[in-house]
Amino acid sequence: MKAVETTAPAPAVAARPRRPARRGRAVAAAVTAAALLAAVPLVLGAYPVSMMTRMLAFAVLVLSVDLLTGITGMPTLGQAAYFGVGAYTAALVGVHLTSDGAVQVAAALLAGLAAAAVTGWIAVRAHGIVFLMLTLAIGESVHQLADTWSLVGGGNGLAGMPPVSVLGTALPAAGFVYWWVLAVAAAAFAVVALVARSPYGRTLRGIRDNEARMRALGYRPGPAKFGVFCLAGAVAAVGGALWAAQVRFVSPGDLGFEVAALALLSVVIGGSGTLWGPCLGAALVLLVRDNLSAHVGGHGALVLGAVFVAVVFTMPRGLAGLARRPRRTEARS
Amino acid sequence: MTPALRLEGLTRSYGSLTAVDHVDLTVARGERHALIGPNGAGKSTLFATVAGTLRATSGRVLLNGRDVTALSESERARRGLLRTYQHSSLFLGCTVLDNVALAVQRVQRVAHRFDRPARGFRRVQARALEHLESVGLAGRAHDTASELSHGERRQLEVAMVLAAEPAVVMFDEPTAGMSAAETERFATLLEGLPRSLTVVIVEHDLDVVFRLADRVTVLHLGAVLASGPPAAIRSDEAVRAAYLGAARTEDLFTGGAR
Repeated sequence: MKAVETTAPAPAVAARPRRPARRGRAVAAAVTAAALLAAVPLVLGAYPVSMMTRMLAFAVLVLSVDLLTGITGMPTLGQAAYFGVGAYTAALVGVHLTSDGAVQVAAALLAGLAAAAVTGWIAVRAHGIVFLMLTLAIGESVHQLADTWSLVGGGNGLAGMPPVSVLGTALPAAGFVYWWVLAVAAAAFAVVALVARSPYGRTLRGIRDNEARMRALGYRPGPAKFGVFCLAGAVAAVGGALWAAQVRFVSPGDLGFEVAALALLSVVIGGSGTLWGPCLGAALVLLVRDNLSAHVGGHGALVLGAVFVAVVFTMPRGLAGLARRPRRTEARS
Repeated sequence: MTPALRLEGLTRSYGSLTAVDHVDLTVARGERHALIGPNGAGKSTLFATVAGTLRATSGRVLLNGRDVTALSESERARRGLLRTYQHSSLFLGCTVLDNVALAVQRVQRVAHRFDRPARGFRRVQARALEHLESVGLAGRAHDTASELSHGERRQLEVAMVLAAEPAVVMFDEPTAGMSAAETERFATLLEGLPRSLTVVIVEHDLDVVFRLADRVTVLHLGAVLASGPPAAIRSDEAVRAAYLGAARTEDLFTGGAR
């Protein structure tokens, strides 16, 4: 009797495998990661904290690149432009209007959205390498604009941004700025994660895998791609505003080709299509560029190149692939 | 009654090669219409032209009496004209469930919603699972499509196109690569489909053709050779010569036909 009871539910379990367990584990991992990140200013000193603040801001940019490249299958080198639009907007708001962080982020978001909407409707018509080249052209154009336009300081950049304030209180210490940036970055992550898991995210992955088949099913891929391009522009701009909140100085270098390339590199290193992998990739890339670089005689780019080659050969799915592999074999056996 | 699908002088040329040559075809609503013909007869090109993947060189495609020749493939699909592919065309990086859910969520008009996770859309998930069950793939719902065997991919293709709730569905060699058991399951599934649905099927397995079809059209060198009920096709001399009775395939290219 007991044997019957225990064997009966087995097929049902086999038919619906691994989902609930995976979800539980993901939530636990997210809570742990958030708690650890929130505790950073309590443990580390001012310099590492400001370093991690920039990593978080950069991770938001990388998230937007992953949304386009990893989820929708549109490899891009143009997101640094919207990152720059966000950073300049936040800095201009900070210098001329208000030091309120929320206003700066909101203004940057709208500016990024508008910039992406204006440039995106041309870009999304192209595919693959042509799309990549178009986004590169957009990035370089915006870079040129920032470099020459005196209203935003031209080549000298935009300085004199006062410390960010939140809810009326100025945040003078690096730790408070960190918490503010962490909160906004977490919100951006949540939004992108929700989009990725939604029916719209499914539509985007369908476009990535087989755009022709999507049309045959009655989809219009164009508007869907334009929508995600605008969203990615807004997300990148929020990252730019967060960057400006920490650095309080924006220069054309912040939206140059190097930043765009590093963002794409972070996605590849982290594992495109997963969201947390590229965030780790962003941290790693910035760590190598800004810290390790000093110890290897300024050859940070060389180290990054070596890391890139090593990752492509040893971990084709990036850092995220390391976590996925044992789970796969577990499910098979 | 207006026919579900009507082709009038449909032609598709590649330069001097006419792959589809002035095809006239009428498929009544609810009909199971089989399209047969030797390799290279233009069956797949005809499907692609009807579906809108390829532009017609001349002629018209009428869906439920309305001219859709000028419409894009996506617009024709929205009006209920769908097709499967001879070589499975799937979303290989997505889960098996997602493949079918993509079709379902478009029909249920939630394909661009992002206010909550996809699994929160219970009607989409349930409908997608139903379609997977009907082709025997429910147990593999959460596997990646690329992990499926060739036969399973063919089944998934069938589930996906039916999930898009077509009015007219064109199957391009659906059983190619299926095992005998899978072919049997497909034939049973097709027999069980409601008569509100019109089916055009390209098929090489003549047992399946004569079991399912109400009418059969024979295509040869891009043109319609014969069209009629299965019994009449079986006894048609020209068809016998061109296709059914051809002892050797070479006969098809050496003037054996007509």
